[in-house]
Amino acid sequence: MRDNVKGGALTEVTFYILLSLCSPKHGYGIMQFIEEKTSGRLLLGAGTLYGALNTLQEKGWIAPYGEAGGRKREYLITAQGKEIAERELARLKQLTDTAEQIIGGDSK
Amino acid sequence: MSKKFYRFYGGLMGFQERWLNRMAAKGWRLIRTGKMSYEFEECKPKQYLYCVEFIGQKSKENAADYWDFLEDLGYHVFFKNINLNCSVGKAVWRPWAEKDARIATNSTTFNRELLIVEKENDGNPFELHTTLEDKQKYYKTLRYPMLFGFLFWGVFALIMRVWWVGILSALFLFFLIFHQIEIMKLAKQTKFTE
Repeated sequence: MRDNVKGGALTEVTFYILLSLCSPKHGYGIMQFIEEKTSGRLLLGAGTLYGALNTLQEKGWIAPYGEAGGRKREYLITAQGKEIAERELARLKQLTDTAEQIIGGDSK
Repeated sequence: MSKKFYRFYGGLMGFQERWLNRMAAKGWRLIRTGKMSYEFEECKPKQYLYCVEFIGQKSKENAADYWDFLEDLGYHVFFKNINLNCSVGKAVWRPWAEKDARIATNSTTFNRELLIVEKENDGNPFELHTTLEDKQKYYKTLRYPMLFGFLFWGVFALIMRVWWVGILSALFLFFLIFHQIEIMKLAKQTKFTE
């Protein structure tokens, strides 16, 4: 993942995974969350999700949740992950504000 | 009623995947795989969808972990051999694999290089890799085994002067070029979109 290279943008998938994990979820829950929130526009493949979860865990943005013995692994966002997500929100706000001013609505 | 078919796909995962999906569309569901055989039983047409993925580079633990993850999502997963192993013994050297999987034996991913993943059709397309970046990464993992196969058998054919080994080497080269073209197509797209 090329996330956060020089403070750059998160990929859409990364951002959605971080958002979905603000409450504990397992793999299927994350896929459902993303499908629902994007009205089916973004369908996340299992292999892509698997890779993303491992990478995010290595980065320390998410962590396993609950006891390790459980059959289905659940994940939850970490404090660091939350901070990253908040920063991304601010970046996107700035972007949409600019876009709004230039091509948004029927101003003039 | 069940049906048995014999097919050789080698490194062409996409062709194998399309064939399984065509079978499923006609109402045949995969129930068992052998070295070269595929056994099907009747189901409703279009009831199931299939994906085929190469996992030969994965260590035993990582392959099992990925398997569990897919099964937990409600998919049904089969192991399949890639039919490109020309080893006499039960072990094979894979310098391109993950650290713990470089000597592949029966207890690791030897003869379990492929996963066939079955999903109940819910109307959505079924793909395991859905972002341009992740697709590229997947094709890149395929490149090394193909390159290795090409060089290894190529050198072997030249030294031993055995023509059929040369054909095997050429087969790997063909797979290598095939995957490289995919990677280049994807890389072009990522310049503008995610």
